[in-house]
Amino acid sequence: MAEEPKEILRKRLGGLEQMPSIPVALAPLLRYLEQPLDRLEMQQVVDLISQDKSLAAQCLHMANSPLFGRWQEVDSIRGAVLALGMQRMRDIAISCSVLKLTPSGQTCLDPTVFWEHSMGCAVVSRRFAKRIGFANPEKAYLAGLLHDLGILVNLWILPKEFTAAFELARTRGIPLHEAELSTLGLTHGDSGRMLAEQWQLTPDLIDVIALHHGVMDGTAHGGLLALVSLSDLLCRMGGLGHGLVEERQIDFLDQPAFALLLKECPSLQTFDWARLTFEMEGYIDEVHRLVALLYRPQ
Amino acid sequence: MIDSTASAMKVDSAQAAPDPQLIRIRDLVYQVAGIFQPDNKLRLMADRCEKRMKVLGVATLREYYECLTIKPIRQAELLALLNEITIGETCFFRNQPQLDALRNIVLPQIIEARAKLPLPHLRLWSAACSTGEEPYTLSMLLLEESAGRLKGWTFEILATDLNERSIAQAKLGSYGDYSTRNVTPYYRQKYFVERGENLHVRPEVQAHVSFSRLNFRDDARMAFMKGLDLIMCCNALIYFDGASKRRVIQHFYSNLLPHGYLFLGHSESLYGISDDFRLVHLPSATAYVKGEKRTVAR
Repeated sequence: MAEEPKEILRKRLGGLEQMPSIPVALAPLLRYLEQPLDRLEMQQVVDLISQDKSLAAQCLHMANSPLFGRWQEVDSIRGAVLALGMQRMRDIAISCSVLKLTPSGQTCLDPTVFWEHSMGCAVVSRRFAKRIGFANPEKAYLAGLLHDLGILVNLWILPKEFTAAFELARTRGIPLHEAELSTLGLTHGDSGRMLAEQWQLTPDLIDVIALHHGVMDGTAHGGLLALVSLSDLLCRMGGLGHGLVEERQIDFLDQPAFALLLKECPSLQTFDWARLTFEMEGYIDEVHRLVALLYRPQ
Repeated sequence: MIDSTASAMKVDSAQAAPDPQLIRIRDLVYQVAGIFQPDNKLRLMADRCEKRMKVLGVATLREYYECLTIKPIRQAELLALLNEITIGETCFFRNQPQLDALRNIVLPQIIEARAKLPLPHLRLWSAACSTGEEPYTLSMLLLEESAGRLKGWTFEILATDLNERSIAQAKLGSYGDYSTRNVTPYYRQKYFVERGENLHVRPEVQAHVSFSRLNFRDDARMAFMKGLDLIMCCNALIYFDGASKRRVIQHFYSNLLPHGYLFLGHSESLYGISDDFRLVHLPSATAYVKGEKRTVAR
């Protein structure tokens, strides 16, 4: 273990004092959009998004991206809600809000790369969910977007220690969570859980954030957890990772997450992994373009 | 509040929606030929279809889809389109992530498995070598390892193609700018000699490669290609119908040693063709390995 005992790190994490609170616009949006769709009023959604000018502008950029299935230009939030529907706008608004969480200053992990991975995982999770008939593809998007929240926590709270872990992962070509475990004694799943609980995210999202690198531990929301875990792995192996190359060979059928997801989605048995991989490669350019448009380093 | 602020903001102009007929053609090509054109390549695919449509004198993609499916010319037309899709793809170091994965991950595994056999010798097959760029690239990669991982080893690269003229060209080992566009100065200096406007592959690279003409439908000769550690077969299987493709793949399976690898072209898949080979993911690349056909536990 590292220079500092795990307990001290946990204590520092436990305070989360240096971590930003949930973005101002995000909390009311999340609260409002948690209601059943038939009870949402469009004008209320439009108003909530439009209260923050930069958020509104970012939402329009996303609403006009082919990643969200929109090919004809929309130039107003109202138009975007009408064209894409409430759920898509919810995803978009949340995506834009969480971009504000990036720590300022130099970090070992380029925030642009981090957001490219998060957004890539969100899009792949949604696509994957649709292809295998998973019950809630839009939830899969949100879970994919937020799954690595703990990396942000580590960047804020444990910058020095996390840099050492990142370097270890880079030089050895191993997955980041393995490097964190050997350097910090905990992973971004552990630190992500603390923030997710503090933010009072829903239990299924907390499970994904906490357990996506150890899916056997989570059973309550196993399907969503396994789906995001596999999407994350596909992104990391396919050039939409954290800017690290994991020097290894993966057989998706051997992953514990595969067996878990199969219980919920029997069509996974004959799933075309190659096609999903090629589709993901087709998203990469658009994810890069979109994050470059949306994310402005502080 | 009306979202007037947002509506006044400039948004990126949205991309033109892909024609649903183009998506149908993309899916048809994948289903029949096993090569996938992701979203970011659709524009290119549209251009290629247009080129073919001009030749045929058809005005719309809908009509062109009929040419690919219903009309008597459908087989010939599919071949013509596939030719357009793969045109100009042959060059040295064509797919760098695949080559990196081969060198850094696959080769060490092959060496480990081969070390248990009597002779320290590797046998690779470039199965559709065209004008020789691929087998010469493999030869250079292995020569780079000859002082390291492959110290004390010998290796041979069998290079075959259906086209006699391509083989004759390959044997010359002389290449222009287009074929050598991905060759780095390091490789250029070490493994090529400049003669006039062309680059000639050095004799030590050529010495490991043996060229011959081979038709994949020639079962006797296919069965003769034994004891292989790796087969590379890019953009050749796409021209075979399902039954012929299955037959070729069965040969490949028998040709490979138990630890052997099969690499296909970029965005090429064996989905629905073989249950014997298993897809594995490598960093930004995929490959197939021999595996027992198995039932996944539900």
